[in-house]
Amino acid sequence: MSHTILGKDAYWMNMWGLMALTAIEVGAVGLDLSRSTTLWILVSIGIPKFLMIAGIFMHLTGEQDSRVLTLTALFPSAFILVMVIFIGLTHPDATTALPDIFRPGYWGL
Amino acid sequence: MSDHYPSGFGPHDWSHGAPHNSWAPLILSAGFCVFLFSFAKLFVFGDIAATDDITSALAGVVLGLVIISTGLYVWWQQDMSFDGTYEPKARGAPFQNIDIRKVAMWIFLMSEMMIFSSLFSTYIRYRTALPNCLNLYNELNAAGNLVSSQTYTCYEPASQLIAASWWHLAPGAINTFALILSSFTVVQALRYAKMADLDEEVRRKKVYRYLGCTMMLAMLFLSLKMIEWFIGFNIFGHEIPSLVSEGYSIHASAYQPHWAHGGHFTTNIRISATMFYVTTGTHGVHVLAGVIGLAYLTLKAFRGGFTPENAVTIEYFGLYWHFVDLVWVLVFPFFYLF
Repeated sequence: MSHTILGKDAYWMNMWGLMALTAIEVGAVGLDLSRSTTLWILVSIGIPKFLMIAGIFMHLTGEQDSRVLTLTALFPSAFILVMVIFIGLTHPDATTALPDIFRPGYWGL
Repeated sequence: MSDHYPSGFGPHDWSHGAPHNSWAPLILSAGFCVFLFSFAKLFVFGDIAATDDITSALAGVVLGLVIISTGLYVWWQQDMSFDGTYEPKARGAPFQNIDIRKVAMWIFLMSEMMIFSSLFSTYIRYRTALPNCLNLYNELNAAGNLVSSQTYTCYEPASQLIAASWWHLAPGAINTFALILSSFTVVQALRYAKMADLDEEVRRKKVYRYLGCTMMLAMLFLSLKMIEWFIGFNIFGHEIPSLVSEGYSIHASAYQPHWAHGGHFTTNIRISATMFYVTTGTHGVHVLAGVIGLAYLTLKAFRGGFTPENAVTIEYFGLYWHFVDLVWVLVFPFFYLF
C-alpha cells in the first residue's frame, strides 16, 4: 500500500490520527460529563479508530484483494451480532432482568 | 526434484512447492492441550491449589511448555530456511490468486474475533444485568436503606479505580499509545523488507530495527500491565497502588469501594473483577504470543532472512499484530475508561 493522506504517507497519518483520537478519548474521561455522554464519546471515537486500523494498517482498503478480504472479515459479524444482542436470553434471569432495550415494545415492535 | 533438505524435520524443496508434512502444528496443539489442562488444575478460584494437588499439575505445566518449545523449534527450523521463492495461491472462488497463507490468516483472525466477541457479550450482559455499585450506593443512601453489615452484589467497573486519577490511568493510556506506535513500526518493517531497490545491508538493518522496536513496545505493554495489576508504582511522590493491592481481585467478596468514604459499603465484585481480568488477560496473552513471534522474526531479520520475495511473512504477522491493536481499541475504552 503506497497511498497518501493529505499528501503524506498513509501509515504515518494513520498513526497520528489514532494517537489524536486516543488523546481525545482519555481527555473526555477527565471531563466531568454524564456517563451516557461519556459512553457516546467513547463509541463515536472507537468506531473510526477500529476502521482506521482495519482499513489502513490491515490493508482492507486500496488493494486488489481488499474487497474479498473485507467480506471475509465481515463474515462472522452476523454471529457476533446475535451473540452480543441475544446473550441476555441465555441468562437465567432473562425473563425478569433483561434491560428495556431488549424487551418487546421498546422499539415499537 | 532436489535431494537436498536443509532441515532435518521434513522435505524443504521450496523451488518445487511448499512442504505439507510439518509436524509442528500437531506438536504445538498437543503441547497447548497438556499445558492448559495442567495450568487450570494449579488454581482453585484464583488461589494456588493445595500442595498435594499441584505436584502432578506442575509436572503437566512443565511438560506442556517443553512440548510447546519443541513445536516452536521444529517450526522455526523449517521456516528459517524458507527463501520465499514459492508462495502458494488459492485457486477456487472467492479467493482466486490470493496467497493461501493470507486467507488462512484472515480466517484465523475471525476465529479470534469470535473469542473476544464472547467475552464482550458476557461483559455487556453482566454490566447491564447487575446494578452499578456507585448507583446502588447513591440510591440506598438517599433512601436511608444502607445496611453497613450487609454485602451487596453489584458491578464495580475497574474504571472506577483506574480513571480515578491521571496517574492511575497512565499505564493503560501509555499502553494504548505503545500499541498504536507498534502497529506503525511493524508496517515500516514490511515496507523496507519489500523495497527491491534498497541495498541489502540497509534493508537488513531497517527491518530488524523496526521489528526490534515493535518487540520492545510489546514488552513495555506487558510490563506496564504487570505494574498495573500487581506491583503499583511511585512517581513524583504519587503512590499508585496496584489493582490487586487495592482489593480489586477475582475473589473480592467484601470489597470496599474507595469512593464510599468511611467504608460502610461492602460489595461482592467477583463478577466485575473476573470480567476485567479475563478479558484484559486474554488480550495480554495475545500480546505475549506476539512477543514470541517477534523474537523469532527479529532474529531472522538480523540474519538477513527477509527479502522482497518473502516479506509477506512480516505482512501476515502484521495482520495478527494489528488485530491485537484492534481488540485493544475496544478493550481500553470499555474496561479502562467507562
